[in-house]
Amino acid sequence: MPERTMEAPHGGTGSDAPSAATPPAAVGPELARDFRDVLPADLVITDEVGRRSYECDGLTGFRQVPALVVLPRDAEEVAACVRICARHGVPFVARGAGTGLSGGAMPVADGVVISVQKLRRILEIDVENRRAVLEPGVYNLEISKAAQPHGLYYAPDPSSQQVCTIGGNVAENSGGAHCLKYGFTTNHVLEMEVVLADGSVVTLGGPTGEQAGPDLRGLFIGSEGTLGICTRVTVRLLQTPETVRTVLADFPSIEAAGDTVGDIVDAAIIPAAVEMMDSLSMEASEAATGAGLTVDAPAALIIELDGPADEVEAEFEHLTAICERHGATRLHVPTEAEERQKVWKGRKAAFAAVGRISPDYIVQDGVVPRTRLAEVLTRIAEMGRDAGLRVANVFHAGDGNLHPLVLYSESAGEHDAAEKLSTDIAELCVELGGSLSGEHGIGTDKACSMPVMFSSDDLGVMHRVRLAFDPDSRCNPGKLFPTPRLCGERPGKYQPHPLEEAGVIERL
Amino acid sequence: MSTPRVETVTPTTVDDLRAAVLDRPGTIRLAGAGTAADWAGTPAPADTVLDLTGLSGIVTHNPGDMTVEVHAGTPFAQLQEELGEHHQRVAVDPARVAEGATLGGLFATADSGPRALQYGSLRDLVIGATIVLADGTVARSGGHVIKNVAGYDLTKVLHGAHGTLGVVARLVLRLHPTPQATVTVAVPCERSGSADLARRVADSPVEATAIQWHGSDQGDRLLVLVEGSESGADARARRLVDAVGGELLAPDDAGAAWEAHAASVRARPADRAVFRFGVIPSSLTGVLDGLEADTGGLTEVTTSPRTGVATVAVPADADVVAAAHRRVADAGGTSSLRQRPAGAELPAFGPAPPSAALLRAVATSLDPDQRLGRGRLAPWIPAPTGVSA
Repeated sequence: MPERTMEAPHGGTGSDAPSAATPPAAVGPELARDFRDVLPADLVITDEVGRRSYECDGLTGFRQVPALVVLPRDAEEVAACVRICARHGVPFVARGAGTGLSGGAMPVADGVVISVQKLRRILEIDVENRRAVLEPGVYNLEISKAAQPHGLYYAPDPSSQQVCTIGGNVAENSGGAHCLKYGFTTNHVLEMEVVLADGSVVTLGGPTGEQAGPDLRGLFIGSEGTLGICTRVTVRLLQTPETVRTVLADFPSIEAAGDTVGDIVDAAIIPAAVEMMDSLSMEASEAATGAGLTVDAPAALIIELDGPADEVEAEFEHLTAICERHGATRLHVPTEAEERQKVWKGRKAAFAAVGRISPDYIVQDGVVPRTRLAEVLTRIAEMGRDAGLRVANVFHAGDGNLHPLVLYSESAGEHDAAEKLSTDIAELCVELGGSLSGEHGIGTDKACSMPVMFSSDDLGVMHRVRLAFDPDSRCNPGKLFPTPRLCGERPGKYQPHPLEEAGVIERL
Repeated sequence: MSTPRVETVTPTTVDDLRAAVLDRPGTIRLAGAGTAADWAGTPAPADTVLDLTGLSGIVTHNPGDMTVEVHAGTPFAQLQEELGEHHQRVAVDPARVAEGATLGGLFATADSGPRALQYGSLRDLVIGATIVLADGTVARSGGHVIKNVAGYDLTKVLHGAHGTLGVVARLVLRLHPTPQATVTVAVPCERSGSADLARRVADSPVEATAIQWHGSDQGDRLLVLVEGSESGADARARRLVDAVGGELLAPDDAGAAWEAHAASVRARPADRAVFRFGVIPSSLTGVLDGLEADTGGLTEVTTSPRTGVATVAVPADADVVAAAHRRVADAGGTSSLRQRPAGAELPAFGPAPPSAALLRAVATSLDPDQRLGRGRLAPWIPAPTGVSA
């Protein structure tokens, strides 16, 4: 079972964690020796400093130093490591780049972290068949970079795409700003090689969408590392769209912006992306990036269309007319790619930029049916008022995926109130017919809210499937499913990655 | 062994369905409209047939959210018609929709049509489900929002399960707007040249919704579907003709061309079995040539050169079908048998993949007594020994 350790922002591990100086008794020296039989000694990390650097993922409030970290270099070594874990009966946590925001890669105290960061080869870019074969540690953006000379790209673009891995994307079923039109990881992975808990290696999926038998690939994608480790992924590549058009539109109210999105949908236009920001998030972002956002506008939309020129031009005209009809106070249409990137930077840097207007903040991730956006925002504003806290809003308006940012001051003692507000917002999303998470996952962070969204029967059936894959629950235990031991504490504040603060990467 | 007395039960609510599963002992075969009753493995004799066509109709549809929840027994064509009133659709187009296939049946058989090139199959459009397990457990997964990563995507495991593992009672689907215009370009083309031509279509910027090769009375040709706005679709189709040749079909001719294509896919030619397979697209021509030689000639051939999926008819002979499965497996692909003459004993699937052991474990966890759809996934999930069917 995982230990949860709440850390003070700069403090050591909490009192309920095992001593970090030596591996816990359950993990003896035989384990490290067995790993050294299959890996060079420097790829088996046993020293405290080395292990400590794996203690958390992007959700830094959850920390746990693992007993051991191994860095296999290929699929065979991953399978060998998993078999050693099986032999010793120890749990393991697969880890990509550790950019996840739900504590999904938080280690287990008496367990092993199996990092795939050395499995970074792009095995094949198959131009004719439009697919790429990848090792799990390949960074998301590297796929598109490798495909780009051939006029192809990989569609899912999670905001951390410069530093997140395809293996992590498979675990989380990552989306991105453009998933409204192009779908999620599950829609783009054709085939995977997977190492199961017992060390056996199976292939899920196939070379086409054609299935003979149940879709185990689809079940595995988004299972947050609880069903096994993927060691090879085949993804579809798409043709780079002929045209991309982007507009930044300011609106006199959140409602006007929301109604605009509704009319775009009604007009049978599926934009590649529709992002909304409120004035608080724009104020923060503009201060950080100077992207050209109107800080006193109550709301703004960034809308992007892509596709064949003949379609996009006509749709874009229609789109700007819809914006004007809803009282858009400014339409900024960047013409150069550089200008477009600047607008996107204003959007993408928003999370980290909020640090400029608040000492501390929590990033939430929830989904409501798109038509209930205005309602949920009103409720969030009320809840914020009641809690005496400000909430900035940045969201994927096209699919109802909200990212409320709960602003608070740790030093003013607002931490607990902020955490409660953040959790209440996620659970409000469920109440309005939505979901606890659109893209960050359940992980450790939201496991305790799962009963709000699913009945015990729902969760029981999921667990039965988990046991079919992993009878001893040794793959990433303690994640996704609520357990009594886990559910009693609350997550910590959000700490942006340094690259994020610089606006280089973003978490949308 | 007692003489089997099969009773048919037709629940009209999820509660009824649950009660039927709980009240009826023994094995249960699921049935929809019957358009794919002979697909996949031959079902073992069942104690009860659960007719799901009574579980029909839209549960909730909020057009602004572009989602719909539907009872699994709803005829797919009827669903599309109701959604069409709101200028929306489920963006899949399997051939047997015209025969009355139900949503649940299409889902359970992992069926898809030409538009799979752009939209995938129902697995890509289903965002939530309510299922009933053999022990009466009613479980939901997913939800009503398109973007949702909470919990396992359990729904997927019933896609292609052919009525095993669990009963799909309701599905929640993401919808797409109905395009204003649909234009078809037909380019005369031998099958041997279809791969190259289809690649040129794909490399052009038109973004075709479907690219299918079909040999018919109208001649061998590649059919390219272009969907979009009134002016855009037409302009794109004309650009395509400029780039690769062929012609824009008049609306009636286009309708007839796609209808003839669908008719080939769902055909039941005498003494022949319909074989569906998918291989990596660059292997498709070679595999088809091999099958042509192995079987003494393919008929009812339709292919999707850019996805690598094809549907062909082969002689209804166990050795021939087994050899066809082997050829596809050797090319790294997947295959399954569809329509076949009544009573023909033919292998439904190819060699068991390494994941078959995992599939059996999942099956054991969800339906340990194999009450549902016994025989449908044989031999990958063999019928339990020592238990009367």
